[in-house]
Amino acid sequence: MQNLIDFIIKYKYWFAFLLMEGFSLAMLVRFNNYQGSVYFTTANSLVGGIYSAADGVTSYVGLGKANEMLEAQNMLLQAEVHEMKRQLAAHHIDTLQFAGFNRSRYRFVGAQVINATTGHSTNLLTINRGSDDGIRPEMGVVSSSGVVGIVYLTSAHYSIVMPLINVKSKVSCRLSQHDASGTMEWKFGDIRSAYMTGVPLHIKISKDEKVETNGYSDIFPSGIPIGTVQQAEPSADGLSHTLKIRLAVDFATVRNVSIITNYHHAEKKQLEFVADSIMTL
Amino acid sequence: MALLLLVQLLLLNHLHLFGYATPLIIGYMIICFESGMSRMSQLWWGFIMGLIYDLFSNTMGMGAASMTLLAMMKPYLLKLFMPRDVVDSFKPTIQTMNLSNYIGYTLACMGLLHMSFYFLEAFTLSDLLLTIGAMIGGTLMATLISVCTEYIVHNRQQERDVMK
Repeated sequence: MQNLIDFIIKYKYWFAFLLMEGFSLAMLVRFNNYQGSVYFTTANSLVGGIYSAADGVTSYVGLGKANEMLEAQNMLLQAEVHEMKRQLAAHHIDTLQFAGFNRSRYRFVGAQVINATTGHSTNLLTINRGSDDGIRPEMGVVSSSGVVGIVYLTSAHYSIVMPLINVKSKVSCRLSQHDASGTMEWKFGDIRSAYMTGVPLHIKISKDEKVETNGYSDIFPSGIPIGTVQQAEPSADGLSHTLKIRLAVDFATVRNVSIITNYHHAEKKQLEFVADSIMTL
Repeated sequence: MALLLLVQLLLLNHLHLFGYATPLIIGYMIICFESGMSRMSQLWWGFIMGLIYDLFSNTMGMGAASMTLLAMMKPYLLKLFMPRDVVDSFKPTIQTMNLSNYIGYTLACMGLLHMSFYFLEAFTLSDLLLTIGAMIGGTLMATLISVCTEYIVHNRQQERDVMK
């Protein structure tokens, strides 16, 4: 303390100098319009800069929450688009027909990928929704970019999804412009590419043509993107094309997904079961 | 001191060399302070003189800040130019320092005063050439007046000494 007092006494003229200069500068910006305005403009832009930097940090921290909100909104919109498409298709057939008050067959349940493998031939994803959330095996899983895979196994709170990048995965698909159907398969290796087989040879395929679900199975509604055509070559048997497809979903980074639940799936299965049993009688 | 202020306010404030350079002769007061004078009293003199100048010439803060800065730095500037063998308090004059050293010392002090004053007045770097022009013009003019005044005073003193 004594040292501090000694220091202040020794250099008191420096403190006095700083005080006088401070007082003079305060008078300068207070009583001179021009200097005052320059000072306040500079101070304002400095403070503004600090605030915008702070805001940038805050918004970065809040990105996760924003992402979840967007994903939820996206799911609602997807469901709405699907419903609109269905009604639109119905209107094209007969504009006088009353479509009724049917709800969409499909509902989207949001989930997050909590574990994923990409380096094996039988890759699997784990998601944080299970049978308690209404998830059953053979339900489709999509992300905002496109098809992810199909639910394989469920427990109460988790499900295992067989993604497109699993050699056992087979998803029915079509070329968007030609309506030609085929099957999407994956060969162990590149996780950004898969192969579409069974496309008839007479179809002229253009590069970057979109491949999407065809809606034949009940797992996916039609029109959900899978990827784009990269190159085409004849298959080994020479009867069809094998197309190399660049997948829409990047399985290395996929995080937010939606599970498509189909209300009518059980009803359809039941009907098919009854039909089978009658046939075998 | 009052005379210096009067000359500055009534005469030199209306002198605008090349249209914008006004010499600040009030710095001459600080230049004349003895080297042994306490730094606190030098600061106070500079500050108050600057403040009075500001009040009458409507440049609030500029004169006070510049004069305080000059009062603070003057001992260091004086050290650069004063003869080595001087130990005690001494008054910076042509007689004690010789003419070239005295001119150098005055030029340095006036340069510092005018630089701080004109930069505070411009408060921007956009008209840098104009500011530097005013600074140099004012400095040269003020130095010239200071050295001439000092020379006259010095000569009179010599005459008086001879008369005795």
